[in-house]
Amino acid sequence: MTSRTFDDPRPFQKQVIAALNDSQLRANLGHATSTIRNKRAKVVAELDDWEALRDHGAYIKDLAQSQLPELIRMVETNVTKAGGHVHYAKDGAEANAIAISLTKSYGAKSVVKIKSMATQEIELNKAFEEAGLEAYETDLAELIVQLGDDLPSHILVPAIHKNRAQIREIFIENMGKSGVPAPEGLTDSPKELAAAARSHLRARFLESKVAVSGGNFLVAETGSIVIVESEGNGRMCLTLPETLISVVGIDKIVPDWDSLDVFLQLLPRSSTGERMNPYTSVFTGVTPGDGPKNFHLILLDNGRSDALKDPVGREVLRCIRCSACLNVCPVYERAGGHSYGSTYPGPIGAVLVPQIRRGALGKLEKSLPYASSLCGACYEVCPVKIDIPKLLVELRSQNVDSARNDGDVSGEKLLMEGVYTAFNNPRLFVAFLDLARKGASLVGKRRINIAPPPLSAWTKARSLPIPNGVSFRDWMKEYHPEQIVKATKKKNSALSAKSAVNGLRQIAKFGLHLERDIAKQSRKFVATNHSNENQSVAPLSDRRTDGEAIDSFIAPIEAIVGSNFTKPTEPTTDYRRSGSLSHEETIELFIDRIIDYKATITRCSEGDLPTAIEELLTKNGTSSLVAAQDLNPSWLSRETLKIVTFDNSISNDRLDEIDSVVTSTAVAVATSGTIILDGSQGQGRRAISLIVDHHIAVVFEDQIVEVLPEATKRIDRYAPQTWISGPSATSDIELERVEGVHGPRKLDVVVVKRG
Amino acid sequence: MKIGLMITCINDALYPDAAISVVKVLERLGHAVYFPEGQSCCGQMHLNSGYRVEGIELAKRSIDVFESFDYIVSPSASCVGTIREVYHNAAVATGDHSFEESASQFAPKVFEFSEFLIDVLKVEDVGASFPHKVAYHPTCHSLRVTKAGDRPRRLLEAVRNLKLVEMEKEDSCCGFGGVFALKNSDTSIAMGSDKFASVKKSGAEVLCSLDNSCLTHIGSIADRMKSGLKVMHLAEILAQTGDEK
Repeated sequence: MTSRTFDDPRPFQKQVIAALNDSQLRANLGHATSTIRNKRAKVVAELDDWEALRDHGAYIKDLAQSQLPELIRMVETNVTKAGGHVHYAKDGAEANAIAISLTKSYGAKSVVKIKSMATQEIELNKAFEEAGLEAYETDLAELIVQLGDDLPSHILVPAIHKNRAQIREIFIENMGKSGVPAPEGLTDSPKELAAAARSHLRARFLESKVAVSGGNFLVAETGSIVIVESEGNGRMCLTLPETLISVVGIDKIVPDWDSLDVFLQLLPRSSTGERMNPYTSVFTGVTPGDGPKNFHLILLDNGRSDALKDPVGREVLRCIRCSACLNVCPVYERAGGHSYGSTYPGPIGAVLVPQIRRGALGKLEKSLPYASSLCGACYEVCPVKIDIPKLLVELRSQNVDSARNDGDVSGEKLLMEGVYTAFNNPRLFVAFLDLARKGASLVGKRRINIAPPPLSAWTKARSLPIPNGVSFRDWMKEYHPEQIVKATKKKNSALSAKSAVNGLRQIAKFGLHLERDIAKQSRKFVATNHSNENQSVAPLSDRRTDGEAIDSFIAPIEAIVGSNFTKPTEPTTDYRRSGSLSHEETIELFIDRIIDYKATITRCSEGDLPTAIEELLTKNGTSSLVAAQDLNPSWLSRETLKIVTFDNSISNDRLDEIDSVVTSTAVAVATSGTIILDGSQGQGRRAISLIVDHHIAVVFEDQIVEVLPEATKRIDRYAPQTWISGPSATSDIELERVEGVHGPRKLDVVVVKRG
Repeated sequence: MKIGLMITCINDALYPDAAISVVKVLERLGHAVYFPEGQSCCGQMHLNSGYRVEGIELAKRSIDVFESFDYIVSPSASCVGTIREVYHNAAVATGDHSFEESASQFAPKVFEFSEFLIDVLKVEDVGASFPHKVAYHPTCHSLRVTKAGDRPRRLLEAVRNLKLVEMEKEDSCCGFGGVFALKNSDTSIAMGSDKFASVKKSGAEVLCSLDNSCLTHIGSIADRMKSGLKVMHLAEILAQTGDEK
């Protein structure tokens, strides 16, 4: 198993050529991005408070930035209180060293991984490989990328550039090299491919000692980590191994649980275009008898505090990695992810990467802000209202300013300054127009097909219109002289013979110097971003103790936040915090949503519950059933009682052989069709509703609320939770949804009327 | 009501016909427009390509030149969008409070041509006739910055003998993007050729939009392909009365 990393330092415009010429890639991307784009638009339109949610999403993230030092301390207190350990990593090398040292200390040679942008950013897999360890990806798309010795090209769907036929080949060729091989006669149907991944990874999940994850949100109030996913591989990693290591960027910290009400509505709709992703896991430290015994949180800075320093650019740290901006971006649609040269592609990558690598801007990083036509589609869909076009322009300005400070002279600079001089001076502007027209009249055409650089970049496929005939102001002079307002003296005084001559000289110089200066510039911008690669890292034992670590980790952030940091203002419109439907309408909506997820619904009275469960078991052909130790036995019929095992730390292998599981539910959300399990009575530990392939969830009508903010008030926030919205699923193969990957492939929901 | 005409550098130099059409349409509706000769460029090109110092100077010049007008009309959604958003962003980023102030007072007086007709003059039918199949390309800045909405369509639908045809993926960017067209010319061309393909597929004889910059891009590909497609600014179509040669 190899771990390729992004190491091409060439600018975007060079890297993009391969993608533009790849017809298969263009077709794959066009299809995939338009599919998610349409799905997103549909589910976003369902919420009448979407704009308020976006405003609050932006506000909460800005607020978190302004309180970051306190929130980090709160995280440490709460995670430690819950039996976890917090480590601090200034950069990727430190984070990798900590993760490697922890893995070794638990005697593991291999870890299973949940898809995580942070660990890709720090190139954890490669660091593990160099340390003689194996980091195995379990998300279907990441697995495809890893098995294919490829690079991810999308934040959400990293294998978006591969189609089903290509994926089949990768599976057949490579699965056997690192575990269970692809089944004989594997076709390219997404359902079969997903099933192949299930069997390939099953044993690994059941055997692995250590898992590595990222985190979508880190709630300071309780120290809880939230991880959203679809396939159930995340739940496997978070539940089964004895040790869990989570690498989380400091930008993922949110103040409180109210934040989750907002983000868990914004993220799934923006990301996968679903009302809610199939699985959301929430956990706090360790929970005796449920999940990992050891939990380590590695808080990662890696350039984030540098980005925080920029009062304009820091907006980028709001990003929740949904990838909605990629899916609407006309540049990404043609360029694909690899052209952006890093883990973070698309519009967000074009602004994020130059900011978290502020100290080491090479050719690639400097080229990224120009990889956009500023069409604004990204800003329009961003769930946290990052004004990406504004940030792109800001970064371009920073490029120009820094070149100016360094005294660099380029053809572009000469041209822009020359044009400025002409534009800023009415008489010179007129002279400029006249000159251009006279030049054009020599050509005798209205359009030309060949032009010198830099206009040759235009004319390689486009004709260039040239000024011809009269200018508009000439026409006005002739036909409407009385409607011309003379320029005031003030403006004319700006004109001096010297500046006019300078302007024209600049333009003339530009043509002569362009090529030479560009070449010089290119040599100058030696990529420095990869110079840190060989930096050695002190072993853990030589490092500061944790207590000192937090202080030195927070110090630079405190310095930024403490000075000149604007506090955000709270949005004036609120999102919906309570429902507006009647009780019966709420139940109907819940049922509609569940059916939409391809789960089944049974409605019955409390008295009929045992029969209803028995019928579902019969229909499934179940011969063995597991239930939490404290599940109300009166829910089970006499027949069912014969096959049930009440959980008493049943081993994972044993659970894997059981056909069905029945659980109660803590609360259910109608708008998104979500049932939430928090381990309260009748739900048991997370493993039983995960490993078993068929899940019957019992929901009482009075447990169904309309909107998410009503639900989060009802759950045990410190308990490990699983939020379930339909059976496990993946859309990683050509965006075609397949139900059933690692989690239960079948979900039956029983809605019960009390009494 | 004293109307100032912000004609934009590109129309002044390259597309006087669109600019003349704005004057003619407004005249037909009974309004004289005034042209301050001190105008040149709103600063968009410099602001968007990072030459902020120069861009801000050009922005201030534009504000000065048009200071005395109650209404300023411009046949470019992208220049109007620059005045409404980019001026503000540049002022905030550089901490230039007086520019921020003058930009915020200036912006509400500036209208893109279709907005001016519909919102200020309250007309949809400007008395035009144009017997051709026309596709409308909503430019990115008219779609997302000035939010022109259905105004241009309402104006086109009121034109006699004009047949408006639908275009697939009409809201996708044409790939111009100012400096983008040169710095990332290959991607720009990829976007432009896809756009051109959907215009062609629509069966339109004429492609219409609110910005001559985007029309330059699509038109230059169309010209290079010798496709026969004609590109026209909205004002040019609205200026047609059917009495032309």
